[in-house]
Formats: sequence, C-alpha cells, structure tokens
Amino acid sequence: MKSKDCVAMILAGGQGSRLGALTKKVAKPAVPFGGKYRIIDFPLSNCVHSGIDTVGVLTQYQPLELNTYIGSGIPWDLNRNHGGVYVLPPYQSAKAGVWYKGTANAIYQNLVFLENFKPKNVLILSGDHIYKMNYAEMLKAHKESGAAITIAVMPVPWEEASRFGIMNVDEEGRIVEFEEKPEKPKSNLASMGIYIFDYEKLKQYLTDDENDPQSANDFGKNIIPAMLKNGETMISFRFEGYWKDVGTVQSLWEANMDLLDDDPKFDLFDKNWMIYSRNITRPPHYIGKDSEISNSTIGEGCLIEGNIYHSVIFEGVIVGKGSKISDSVIMPGAEIGENVVINKSVVGPGSRILDGAVLGSKSESADKSSLSSKCTDDIVLVEGGAVVEKNKEVAPGSMIEG
Amino acid sequence: MIDTMGIILAADDKIAPITEIRAISALPIAGSFRLIDFVLSNMANAGITNVGVATNSNYSSLLDHIKSGKPWDLDRKEAGLTILPPNMISARHGMISGDIDILGGIYHYILKSNETYVILSLGTSLYKIDFEKVIEEHINNQADITVIYKDMSNLAESELSRFTLLEMSDDKRVTDIEIKPYYPKSTMASLDVYVMERALLCSILDESMARGDHDLIKDAVIKKLSGLRMFGYEYTGYADKIDSLKSYYRNNMIFLDNVIRKELFSSENPIYTKSKDRAPAKYGEDAIIENSFISDGCNINGMVVNSILSRGVKVAKGAVVKNSIIMQDSVIEEDAYLDHVVFDKEVHITEGRKLLGQDSYPLAIEKGGII
Repeated sequence: MKSKDCVAMILAGGQGSRLGALTKKVAKPAVPFGGKYRIIDFPLSNCVHSGIDTVGVLTQYQPLELNTYIGSGIPWDLNRNHGGVYVLPPYQSAKAGVWYKGTANAIYQNLVFLENFKPKNVLILSGDHIYKMNYAEMLKAHKESGAAITIAVMPVPWEEASRFGIMNVDEEGRIVEFEEKPEKPKSNLASMGIYIFDYEKLKQYLTDDENDPQSANDFGKNIIPAMLKNGETMISFRFEGYWKDVGTVQSLWEANMDLLDDDPKFDLFDKNWMIYSRNITRPPHYIGKDSEISNSTIGEGCLIEGNIYHSVIFEGVIVGKGSKISDSVIMPGAEIGENVVINKSVVGPGSRILDGAVLGSKSESADKSSLSSKCTDDIVLVEGGAVVEKNKEVAPGSMIEG
Repeated sequence: MIDTMGIILAADDKIAPITEIRAISALPIAGSFRLIDFVLSNMANAGITNVGVATNSNYSSLLDHIKSGKPWDLDRKEAGLTILPPNMISARHGMISGDIDILGGIYHYILKSNETYVILSLGTSLYKIDFEKVIEEHINNQADITVIYKDMSNLAESELSRFTLLEMSDDKRVTDIEIKPYYPKSTMASLDVYVMERALLCSILDESMARGDHDLIKDAVIKKLSGLRMFGYEYTGYADKIDSLKSYYRNNMIFLDNVIRKELFSSENPIYTKSKDRAPAKYGEDAIIENSFISDGCNINGMVVNSILSRGVKVAKGAVVKNSIIMQDSVIEEDAYLDHVVFDKEVHITEGRKLLGQDSYPLAIEKGGII
C-alpha cells in the first residue's frame, strides 16, 4: 500500500474527571461545545483542513457515544478508501489484553495500526483542546528542520506559566529544557500537547519506554525527557492564536463564552476553516413573540419563548415563556420550563429545568447541599438528563447530578 | 418491506425570478430546506429505498442538493436515489410538453426496477404523510390507482382552481376528475400523488407514448376512468403546492405557526436535508427578534420580525427585516428597511435602502442582486 506522509493519532481516552457530571457517561472529547459541536470536532476538522486524511482516535473511557459519533467519518470527509478515521480502543491479544497505561503506551499498543500506513511522520494530538491550527505548516517546519520531534508551543501570560508544561528554547527554537508546571518558569512558551514525530524515532522511543518498568508511559513525563537526555533534535513550533484546554467546568464555560460578543475571541464563522460535526437535520430555530435575545448563539431546532442574554444555546433546546437565561451554556435537547432563571450555568444534554426553578440563586434560601469543588467560579453544573424540580433554588457553585 | 418505489416529478413551471436558476422542487423553504426534501423524506421515512427524481430542465441546482442521496439514507448499493435527467434529444426538439414525455424518457428505469408498487409524486407539493398507510389502503381497496387528496373547502373558489379536483362516490371511488377548473364542482383537491402497480404505470406509459399522448391524467387516466378502480386517500394534515410567488410566500410563512410547524417537523418522521456545517446563529448586543425562524450561520445585529431566514444571512445594526423570506448568504447592511420581500440567495442590500412589498404581492429579488 502507498505510504502516508503523516498520520494523526488523537488521544481521546481520558476520563476528564475534572469536568464532573459532564463526563460521567461520555468521554471528554464527546462533550458538546460551542452550540453545535463536540470537542473532538476541532482536532478532526483541523486534520482534514491540513490535508491529513488518516486519523486514529484512541478511546478507552466510556467510548460508546464517541465511537457512534465518529462512525465512518463522513461528516469530516474522513471516509476514505485508503486511510480515513479509525476508532482504536484497547484490545485483547494472544499475549495480553491491557488498558492503555498512559499516553505513550496508547500509541505503543497501536504501532501495528501505524505500520499499515508506513507513515514518515506521526502527529500526536489531544482530544480536549479548542483551537484552529494548520498542521501542514507545522509539518513543513518539521521536515525542513529534520527534527526527531517538533512540539507546538504558544506564549501564555507569565503569571499563568506555572500551570503548563514549559519549553525552554534557544534562539533557533530548539528545545533545550522541558519543565512540567515549574514554580519559577524560565520561559512562557507552553507545550500545547501537539507533537510531530519522525516515525522511526517514535517507534524506537516507545519501544524503549515500554521496556522500562519504572515508566509512567507518558509523553510529557517520559518520552520527551528521554529524548532531551539523548540529545535528539527537538524543535519548537510557535502558534499564536486562540487555544484553550477545556478540561475543567470553568474552562469549558469560559471557552463557550469566548464565542460570544460582537468581536468574539474565537470565531466559528470562518468559511475557510469550517468546523465539521455530525448533526441530525433539524429545522431552523423559532424565536417567539416576546423574547429578548442578545449576545448569544442559538442552534437549530430550538423553540425559544423566553429571554436569552450572553449564552450559548445548543440545538433542540426549549425555553419557556418568562424564563431568563444569562451567561450560560445550555446543551442539546435541554428543556427549560416557564419563568425559570438560569445564571452562569452549564446545563447538560437533555436536562429538564422545571417551571420557576432558579439556577445560580444568590438568595439565602437557595439549596447549598450540592456545592462541588469542581464547580469553581460559582458556576452551576447540571448533569445531562437530570431534573431540577419546580421552584427549586440552586446556589452558585452547585453540581446537580441525575 | 414496503415493496414500493418512488418517482418524483420535478416539474418545469416557472415562478419569476426565483426559479430562473432552479426547478421549483429545488426552491429553499422553511429556512434551511428545499421543497423536494419533504417528498423525499416522506418516501425515505416509509422505508422506500428506490427513488427516481425525474427532471425536466434547470436541474443542476437539484442535482447539487441531492447528490448521492446520503441525507435521506438513499445512497445504497442496490437502487437508492437516481436523478434522471430528461432525454436530451426529445428535449431539444421541444417534444417534452407533459409528464408522459418525462416519464417516457425514464421508461426503462421504471421497467427495470423490481418493486411491485410505485408512488408517483409531484416535487412541488408540501405535505407530510405516512406512505405505508396509503399503500395499505391501496391494497385493501384492490385499487388500480389511489390518489391522495385533501378536502380544501376552506379555500376560496379562485384558490381551489389551482388544483386538480376529484369527484368521488361514498366509498371514495373517483368518478370524475377536473384539472384546474374555472368553476370548481368539488372541493376535494388532488395533491398530485398517485399510487399504482409498477406494471400498470408501464402499460399506461407504453400505450400513451404509442398514441402520442402527453399528459398522464388528462390523456390517459381521465379517458380510462370508467374502467379503472381509482380511489381517493384522504389526507387531513397541512398540504399545499407551490405554483406562484404568492403561494411560495404563504407556504414559508406557515412555519411561523406553532401548530403547523410541529406537524411538519415532528420528530417521529423527520424531514432531512443536506447539512451545511454552518456555525449556530449569532445574535449581537442590539439584536431584536420576534416571531421568526432563523437558520444556522446567521449573524443578526438588527431587527427581524415575522421572517424566515436561510443559512448565513447577515442583518447589520439598525437594519429592519419584516414579513420577509431571505435566502442563503444574503447581506442586509446598516439601517436598511425591508418589508414583505422575498430574496433569493446572496442578495446584497446596501446601507439605508428601503424595499417594500405587499402581502398580496411580495417583492422578489433574483440571486445575487445588489441594491
């Protein structure tokens, strides 16, 4: 078979426990984002627009919904005769059957898959970042430098640098040191978790890593330090643009809010870089006679009779008369009754908020029994399918489970 | 297994200026749909897996919309969706003057299909029906032909005259048919949807072509009516056909009615269309929106009232859109004022322009028009 220049592998197996009730039943990459999409649509669409037509998606935790969502890859134009998208769960072999132990082990277990395509380069991606990036430019830089690995980095504010994996680079962009969440960062270039490996080097390091019983089998903790130690050519590739890790309830909420306002921080309207997604056909949304809508996005199939301010409303949501939704994310198929007030909340798919309920209520009588450490910044999170009873007042920072 | 094939006739009538570039069946409707989506989805939802779309002329827009038939799950190894362009030789000689000519052009496609029954529908009708029930009743009646009709006694005489009207006996046996009569004798309007055995259709076509007939109902069915067991199947839901700008306008505005919208878009029998991957509609700080039907990809900063917007329409600050139908990717600049207009795709209204139509006569602008 014809060999591929570059095959992408998307790490989509993480549990995403910091997303709380949102990832109880689905893997993080399948969590809805941006009024219409799932998180995985972003790396998948980036791949297609970058000319990468062979993508492996490594799943493990709660894979059903993600697997069904990806299907044969048609929505991303990834149904190909040679290549396309493949869902790669851990499997049982004659010798052993093991779960993916770490990010590096997940790729190691799928070397057989990569071998099918005899790729020259392998692009490793995370399934939980929101950004638009042309990997073709990074691949070009990688080939020109002849590096063993090219790592995408982006400048972050200095005060936040200690939350990231920081790359210290020389004038030519060579990586000289890597520090995971350093207390005193020497640089503000954070690793975006996007790597392009020379395939032969990747194989070599993954095999060595697998033979080391002490290893955590992780790219950041083991593979990259080992390559640095051996003096491999490691080049940084600077990315300047919107990039957001949506691993927590707060960052997921923030990234959704970044889509709003007249000049949004992240623009989904770019026709040259469309984000593809699998969507069932729904009619346009209907806005009733007495609604006020401002600074919001609203998906197809919604029936809106209440008021929406600065919020992201996914497809198929019903909002009853007299309700007020502000600074919130309402996921697909949620039903909001009449005279409901929702402040700064993330309401999961198919949840039902019954008449008169208040989410994010600052009143004294509000129910504080479900406060959760995962709901930082006073965000209320309602699990998909959960029901909030009539007239119930839920305190800010609560996580309502179904 | 429903053992039925579908044939959709994409008629060649004209509604200026919005059918300059496309057949009526390919007209955008209800924001993000095309008229043919309704008939196609009705067929797909009934489990029909062999659908032929017979086109006359102007079919590139239709072709682009339907492509492989994937949205209707009609991209199949066996049969699936087939677009049947007209026989170019007869088309060039101006010989296509009725549905017999179109169906004759696809005679071999019909002959070679395997299904026992055929549903023949005009592609310009708007209705939502369970075809399985129609076939069932057709079989129970031991009918030769079943025609779907709706009692339109609520319509004015002039409106009734747009339809083919049926007279029926008590057991719904069709006793007389009149095509668009000036003085209607009946209020039972045919929806131009017929069910018959495929073999019967083939034999009617063969005979009609041999005689030089052009019109299936006028020349063949009406003349044979006394010898045919032709029955009516009553449909009580919303139905109309799009045959004028006025009816196009009206049949879009009905989607603002909660009851009709729910009926036509019930989740039990969804209407499918080609997906476009547009981002969800975005409303700005100063958006004012009332009683409207808005598609993905719209960007609204002005005022939209009683209107239907297709995908990707931009309404700038201070602009007002009232009682209007705006098709895909049209741009309405600041402080423009529109009332009762029908815009084809990519119409561009520059700052401050004012366009007024009337309920009885909406103002239509052709594709790409700049004002």
